[in-house]
This record gives sequence, structure tokens and C-alpha cells, in this order.
Amino acid sequence: MLTYLIFLPLLTAVILCFVPRNYAFLMRLASLAATGVTMLLALAVFLRFDSAPLGPSSAYKFEQQLNWIRSLGISYHVGVDGVNVGLVLMGAIVAFAATCCAWEIRNREKEFYILLLIMTGGILCAFASLDLFLFYFAHELALVPTFIMIGVWGRGVDKNLATFQITLYLSIGALVALAGLIALYLRAGAQSFDLVTLTQYAAVHPMAVRDQNFIFPLLLVGFGILISLWPFHTWAPLGYGSAPTPTAMLHAGVLKKFGLYGLIRIALPLLPHAAQAWAGTIAWLCLGNIVYCGFVAMRQRDLNWLIGYSSVAHMGFIFLGIASLNIIGVTGAVLVMIAHGFLAALTFGLAGYLQHTTGTSDMDKMGGLLRRLPFLGGALLLALFAGCGLPGFANFAGEVTVFFGAWKQFPLITVLAVWAALVIGAVYMLRAIRSLLHGPVPERCAQTVEDSWPLRKLPYVLLLVPLLVFGVYPRLLTDKIWPGAETVLASVHPSEQPSPMPAVTPKSTPIHRAEAKP
Amino acid sequence: MEDHFIENLGWVALLLPLLSAVAITLGGPFGARRAAAKISIGAVALSFVASLILFLYLHLTGQPALAETSFPWLIIGKYGELNNLQFNLGLQLDTLSLVMMLVVTGVGLLIHIYSQGYLAGDPGYSRYFACLSLFTFSMLGIVLADNFLMMFIFWELVGISSYLLIGFWYHKPAAADACKKAFITNRIGDFGFLLGILLVWSVLGSVGFASLKLEAAHPNHFGPVATIAGLLIFCGAMGKSAQFPLHVWLPDAMEGPTPVSALIHAATMVAAGVYMLCRVYFLLSFPGSQALEIIGWIGGFTALLAALIAVQQNDIKRILAYSTLSQLGYMVMAVGSHGPTAAMYHLTTHAFFKALLFLGAGAVIHAMHHEQDIWQMGGLRKKLPVTFWTFLTGTLALCGVPFFSGFYSKDSILAQALKNGSYGLFIIGVLVAALTTFYMARLALVVFWGSARSSAAEHPHEAPGVMLWPLRILAVPSVIGGLLFIEATFEHFFAGGHGEAGTITWAEQLLEPLNASPAAALSGIFAIMVGGAFAGALYWKAASDPLPLRLGWFARAMRNRFYFDELYERVLIPATHELWSRIAQAIDRWIIGGLAVRGASGATEFAGRALRLVQSGSLQTYAFLLVAGVAAVIYCLLAR
Repeated sequence: MLTYLIFLPLLTAVILCFVPRNYAFLMRLASLAATGVTMLLALAVFLRFDSAPLGPSSAYKFEQQLNWIRSLGISYHVGVDGVNVGLVLMGAIVAFAATCCAWEIRNREKEFYILLLIMTGGILCAFASLDLFLFYFAHELALVPTFIMIGVWGRGVDKNLATFQITLYLSIGALVALAGLIALYLRAGAQSFDLVTLTQYAAVHPMAVRDQNFIFPLLLVGFGILISLWPFHTWAPLGYGSAPTPTAMLHAGVLKKFGLYGLIRIALPLLPHAAQAWAGTIAWLCLGNIVYCGFVAMRQRDLNWLIGYSSVAHMGFIFLGIASLNIIGVTGAVLVMIAHGFLAALTFGLAGYLQHTTGTSDMDKMGGLLRRLPFLGGALLLALFAGCGLPGFANFAGEVTVFFGAWKQFPLITVLAVWAALVIGAVYMLRAIRSLLHGPVPERCAQTVEDSWPLRKLPYVLLLVPLLVFGVYPRLLTDKIWPGAETVLASVHPSEQPSPMPAVTPKSTPIHRAEAKP
Repeated sequence: MEDHFIENLGWVALLLPLLSAVAITLGGPFGARRAAAKISIGAVALSFVASLILFLYLHLTGQPALAETSFPWLIIGKYGELNNLQFNLGLQLDTLSLVMMLVVTGVGLLIHIYSQGYLAGDPGYSRYFACLSLFTFSMLGIVLADNFLMMFIFWELVGISSYLLIGFWYHKPAAADACKKAFITNRIGDFGFLLGILLVWSVLGSVGFASLKLEAAHPNHFGPVATIAGLLIFCGAMGKSAQFPLHVWLPDAMEGPTPVSALIHAATMVAAGVYMLCRVYFLLSFPGSQALEIIGWIGGFTALLAALIAVQQNDIKRILAYSTLSQLGYMVMAVGSHGPTAAMYHLTTHAFFKALLFLGAGAVIHAMHHEQDIWQMGGLRKKLPVTFWTFLTGTLALCGVPFFSGFYSKDSILAQALKNGSYGLFIIGVLVAALTTFYMARLALVVFWGSARSSAAEHPHEAPGVMLWPLRILAVPSVIGGLLFIEATFEHFFAGGHGEAGTITWAEQLLEPLNASPAAALSGIFAIMVGGAFAGALYWKAASDPLPLRLGWFARAMRNRFYFDELYERVLIPATHELWSRIAQAIDRWIIGGLAVRGASGATEFAGRALRLVQSGSLQTYAFLLVAGVAAVIYCLLAR
């Protein structure tokens, strides 16, 4: 099932190569059909996950393995557990929504749709893969189209600079991560890129702590650049501001989560000692995202830049959850990843639409749009509410779980993160609402009217619904995630008894406890 | 079977308003837009009926509380293992929550009905009722929550629905700014609240009120953090109940429609803070905790500050807003002097008469064609008889004139302060009572007596019946609220169900303050007389305000709200957020974005130029490099 899900978009892309370029409508239809079916398949995987039989490795469901490069131990190996089943669903929904939003592309549709489909297939493959090489390969497959799309179909005057910067940054990040992965492969000594084999091997023959401490920072920096970890974040706002809407949706929503997923899936179970040693550093770095980028977001006057910085800031919560290295924090982190995927895609989609109708993304030039665009304005209102962590949206459930997970390890950092989540987030989101949606309608927006075609509204509804459903009842996700998170963390806390519940043996009061030393 | 019905009735009461909000929002194309008011009113009326049934059931069966019905909202980890986390959504149906529910749905129902008249013809009619329903749902969630996290969730939802209601006329810049300010100020309070929840959870291992109560009774390690945890939780109440220093949002929030002010700022949202303090009173009064002391003084200070500001306001709604602030300070002061009973008592009576006053002010504003300056009014007594009499009832109740509801609840607070030995708070309380009478008498004298001061005041028109009936109905509990055994009910509850309830008669109730604590009652009455005498001397048939001339700079400071807004806007916010965000932006643009990234791209370009030298096109060079490369590979393979 996962294989169908991955190869459907890729095969459609191949077929589209042979369609003459003046059948643009047909291409759009084919892409919509391919991503739509993919989305339904992902939904089926998600719904059937609990009852699905375990695969051959007895840890993953819907598992499938085919040898690829036998001499290096590389195989095509896919499967899902609680950690990635939600991510696959999120990726597939966002991909369909992004394809729906591609109507604004009016030139070279053929190439655009082919690239979009390749990106979709690559993303889904990356999240489903259980092989380090496949994981990396699929990510590159998805990443390279991003550069081309920004370069060719990008918006704004800084298009070329943005293309240049994002290409440079992300290629370096990917290279560093590749170096880390190869070092991991060499040092693990299992002669295999297969994640299951590696994990089983590492349980018996743990890697030397010195090697772990060398490889972990490589992965952290490499993945960190991809995720826009502070201070490697400056590519994100510029890149998203210049990218065409579907690309921004897919990249900010889904592809960016790849690095985080890599940290959870690869770095935590395979490098447990280093993960513990570096947790403190990650926690401090995440403040750079949460607090610092939140402050920067407060000063943005351009909607795309504001959303860009706010999405960078949200990454910090995920880092904080990972750094807490316990099942609550990691579950919360995965929950935020999924929630933010929907949210980022939704906000970038709406911002793209607004830019298309009003001809600007400068918030000072807009105003009162709730009156002119009741549906889109309302959707944007909800999206911005979700962005400032309002209960009822999945982001709140994730963020609050992260806080509960991180509180005992990092009380001071959690205090600052809570401040940023509740206050700084509210300040910049409400400022955006104030200048975009509230207030009198300026001259240039007086004629703006809403597109009455229902299909234009479909992607936004599709993205809002899961945000609300998972927000109202997060157990739909967390019941799947936490057993997965437990497996991932099994090697980090092998004894399973690091520090008992304070209610049972309350030794120290957390407020007085010092930070965990990195 | 019957029990199931009763237990689920709580959920029905909670979810009906949500259903109504969803139906109005999504059902627009199917005619729900026109029926918005009816759907919304129907939902809150049914909620009220459900609360009434629950309350009577509880009362007749004599149980302390109905069984909690809860289901897990979020589970992480196996139960009983370390690092497990479980949040439930559950309902706590006891006396405290049910009385509060009756107040919220009862007063809410009248305000819903009133709104139908006030908002008639507004383009956002259906949106208004959807928001109102959402608000009612969130407020009921706070009231019914059986754990901290659920309370926090609904706490935030109340914040956002009040944001939507205050900013209902969002095309007006003032309203758009006011709702933003209200939400952000509330968020600052919520910051402390969430930290308090985290702290309590990490020490006591739970967020549920029932299990926390059990846990707190056992020997535990809550003692050292009790003060700080109590104060952090109080931060939440500080935001919602607008206590100093987070009081600045409430007066601005008067930009919303007047029924919204009545609902949010009298009966429900601002009362949520006080209700929460009473709900978690067992944590605040933990042995060794100093939290209550500080809470009491913050409440007293707020009461005094707001009463002073109210003396020099000229906008009818703002006077009432500052009066609300001051009365909330009273309630918080009562909690701080170990008297949750008195606080809840005053909360209940205040909900009646303050809603009445706001709705009455709405009728006056409606009559005056949206003029809110009291110095443009005058002589409205004859022209708006129903409004006048009901408003007067509310005023007398708020001042605490004997035998009106406010007298009993206010006296209860003063007596509590005396009993607790907080003489400082007692003196503040008496002073505030005098000031309250002064500014309310000023308001009533200027608006309803004297002669008309503008053309609008000469030809006002009384509001339609749909607006007047809620006023008449609210006037009833404002008068007799002191005789409804509210205090005895709460006393019974806070004594843990041990006290004797319902043993006093009506007649004893009537004179209870004088019997129980004559000192408090007499000083309260004295304060009213002093305040009333001063107001009468100054404002009887006054053409303009004489006070600025007599008090000079102090009157100016009072009118300008003691410059708190200016302090926050010009000093505090620039010094904290604005400054940091400027610094961060500069670093981002010039150092990280400029130096580091330009540096990296410069290095790449340099590498590119260097590599171009290699790509010379000369065949010999290529051959040489190829051979060198092969040699290096062979060396690496063979040398190991």
C-alpha cells in the first residue's frame, strides 16, 4: 500500500512527460487525480493502521523490502509506525491541497506539474522509508525540484537571490547530513543502511561514545540547516516569500519536517549517548527559534515574511520536545510536526491567494479584508489563531504536550518558551489580523471580491479540517504516536528508570533544580 | 438509568451553545442566518433549564456533588508508569459549579434576548449570535471543568471569543485595537497560569482537582513552592478578572456592543478569575503559603485604584467598567482574606446588578442615539421611566444600600476582612464603598436628574419591550438577591459539606449582617451615607463637573487613569518587546543574514573561481588530474 502511495505520483510524473504541452488542463486533472488518490490511500493507511498486521521486522506496519544495491546493504524498505503514519497522512493531504492551489501557475504548466508530482513522491517516500540511503535519496528527489520551482516560477524581485540562497543553504545542509549518515554507516559496523538492522545491531554492539559524539553534531547541523534551526534560519523567510504558493506549502509544511523526522528516527535510537549529551545544547538553541525568531517576526510588515519567521519559530517547539528525550516531549514534538504541517501549508496557501487577488503581500497596504473576503478572511483568521496556539487546533495540543515533557528537564527554557508561545506569538499574529483583516478597507482593496468557485475553497477546507479534528480530539494521533516514541527512546533510556514520578518520590522541587548539564 | 440521564445533562448543557454556534456558522445557506437569534437563545435557554434540573436534583438528593463524568482527551504512556501524561475532559457538578452555571446561563439568557433588540438590523447579526454562543460554551467549560488543563483550554477559548465579541465592529480602528489589547493582556496572565499548572503538576503529579485535593491532604512536598504556585495560578485570574497590573484591557473593551459588555464584563468572563480562585482555594490556602496575603492586597489595591478612576470618567460605559474593576478587586480581596464564600456571594449578586446596569446603560445609549458622554445627557428620568427605575435599582444594589442584594454581599466581604484580622483591607473596603456610592450617585444624578444638556437628551425614545423586559427581570434578583440563601449555600460548600445549610429563616436573613458583624455593617452604611452626601452636594443639578476645579492635578490624574496606559505603551512595551524585536531584527538582517551568509556565498564564489582554473580546457591537465586521481584511489585501497 505504501508503495502504491509513493509511486502513484512518480509514475504520473513520468507519464506526463509524454503528454504534449498544450494539454495543460489534462495535466492539471491528472495531477489532481494522482495526488487525490494518494491522499485517499494515505487516509486508508492511517485509518487501518491499528488493525494492520505487523511487518516482517515486527516493528513496522505495511512493511515492504526489496534489495536495491546489495553490496552496500541498501534496500528499498518502507513501513510505518506511530511516529510516521501521521506524517505520511499530513504529507499526502498537503500535497493534494498544494496541487489544488497550483491554478495560479500560468506558464510552463507541464514542467511545473511534473516537478510537483516528483516532489510529492519524494516526500512520501522519505517519510515512509526505513533505509538511510533511501531516506536521503528520496529527500533529495523532493528537494531539487524546490530550487527549480523557485527559480522559474518564483514571485517577487528577490527571486534570484532567494533561489541562490536556498539552494546553497539546503545543499550544504544536505551534504553535511549525508556525511553524518555515511559516517554512521561506517562506524556502526553493521554493513547495512537498513534502519531495522542497524537498530538491532546497535542494541547488541553499541557504537563507541566518541564516535557518537562526532556523528551527532554532523547530523544536528545538517538536519538543523534543513529545518532552519537557529542560526541557520535566514533562508526560510526569503525562500518562502519568493517561492510559488504550492512549493511554499509543500516545503514549509512537509519537506522541512524531514530533518526533524531524521533526528527522531535516526539520531535518537542509533546515537543515544550523544543524544543525551547534546540535549541541553539543542534546548538552548531552540530558544533561538522560539524567542528570537518570534521577536523578528514581530517586526515583519510583509505577510509572507511574517509567516516564514513564525514557521521558523514553531520549529523551536519541536526541537524542545526532542531535547526533552522523554516520551511526552517526543510525542508532543511529532504532534507539533503534523499540526504545523497543516498550518504552514494553510497559511502559505492563503497568503498566496491574497497576494494573487490584491497584488501585494505588504500588510500595511491591506486592511478590512474580512469584510471583502468572508470565507478566505475567516480561514486566515482561524489559521492565525491556530498559529498563536489556540486550543481547539492541533497546535495547542502539541505545544502543551511539549511543555509538559520539557518542564522537568529544562524549567527555565520552558518558561521562556511558554512566554514566546502565549505572548510573543499572540502579539505578531494579532498584529497581522489587525492590519490585514480588521480596520477600514483601503482604496486598493475596495474592489477585491471572493472567487465563488467552490474548488478554490477546497484546499483550505481540507487543511483546516484535520487541524480542528486533531485539535479537538488529539488522541486520534497521540494513541498512535506514543508507542512509536517509546520504541525510538528505548535505547536512550535502556534501564527505563531514569527519574521516577515526583509524586511517588518527590526528591527535589523542579523550580530549584539546575539545568541538565549538556 | 436516571443517573445516566442526570450525568449526561451536564454535557448537554455544555454542548448546546457550541452546537448553536456551529449551526449558525455552517448553516448560513440553509436559513440559519435569519434564525440565528432564535437558535442561540434556544440553546442558552435549554442550557439554563438543564442547569436548573441539575441544581434541583443535587439539592433534593442532598449529595455534595454528582459523580464526575470524564473521558481521556490525551494519553501518553502507560498508566502508572513514569513519564505518563493523561488529560481528561470531565465535568465537576457540585454546588459551586451549578450555582455559577445558573448565573452564567440565566444572566446570559436575558442578555441574549436583549441583544435581539439592540443588534436588530446590524449586518453582522448572525455572526454576533454565533460568537455569543461560542462565548457561552467556553464560559460553561470553565465553570464545569474538573481539571486544570480543561480549565486552561476553556480559559483560552473565553479569551478568543471575547476577542471576537469586543472586536465585533472590527471595521472601527478603536474596536480592532481594543480586542487585540484585551487578548494580549489576557495572554500575559495565561502565561503565569500555565506555568502554575506545570508547577503543580510536576510537584503533585496531577492536574485533576479531585486528585489534587487528595494529594494536597497527604504529606507532600508542595509546601516550599505553594506560595509561588499560588501566585502563578493567580496570574490567570489577574488577566481574566482584570486585576492590577493587568487591568488596562477592561475599560478599552467597552468598544464592543453594550450587551457584550454586560455579558463579558459583568456576569461571566471577568468573574471567571474569581471563580477559578475559589475552585482551587484548597491550593491557595495550603499551609505555609503566603499567596493569599498578596492576592488580598492586590485585590484591595485594584478596588481602590479603579474606584478613584471611576470618579472622574465621563463615558457612561467606562464608569461602569471601572466600577466592575473595583468590584472585582473586592471579590479578590475577599478570597485573599480567606473568604471564598463572601467572594462567590458578591460575584453572584454583582452578576445580577451589574448586568442590569450595563443593559440599562445600553438602553440609555440606544435612546441617546449612541451618545455615551454623561454630560450630554440629563433629565432622562421622566422620558425613560422603565430604564430609570431599573437603573436606579441596580445603582442602589451596587452601592450596597441596606436590604438590596449588594448590601448583604458587600457586608459579607467587610465582615470577612474583620474576622480575618486584615484591618488594612477592611479600611480599604469601607473607603471603596464610599467612593462607589459617590461615583454611582454622580452618574445617576447627572444622567437622570437635572435638565437636558443636549438636543438628543431632549427627545430620547424608550427602548422596545424586548430590551426592557430583561431589565425588569434582572431588577428582581438585584433587590432580593440577599434573601436567596446564596451565602448559606456557598458556606455549606466551602465548609466541605459539614456546615448546616438552610437553617436560617427569611426574617433572620434580612437582618443577618447587623447580627453577625455589626461593626462591618454599620461602617458600610456610614460609608454609603458619606459618599451619597458628597455626591449630592456636588452634582445636584450641576451643569458641569465641579470636581476638576477643586482637586486640580489629582482629578486630571484620575481622569487619565493614573497614566497606566501611557506607562505601558510608552515605556514598558517599548522597553521589553519592541526593543528586543528591533535588536533581533537587526542581528538577523545584518549579522546572520549579511555577514555570515554573504561570507558563505563569498567563499563559495571563491571556490568556484578556483575550480574554474582547473577547468582550463587543456587536455594535458585533465589527463594529469585523472591519473593523479586514479593513483590516489589505488593508494587508498591498497595501502590499508
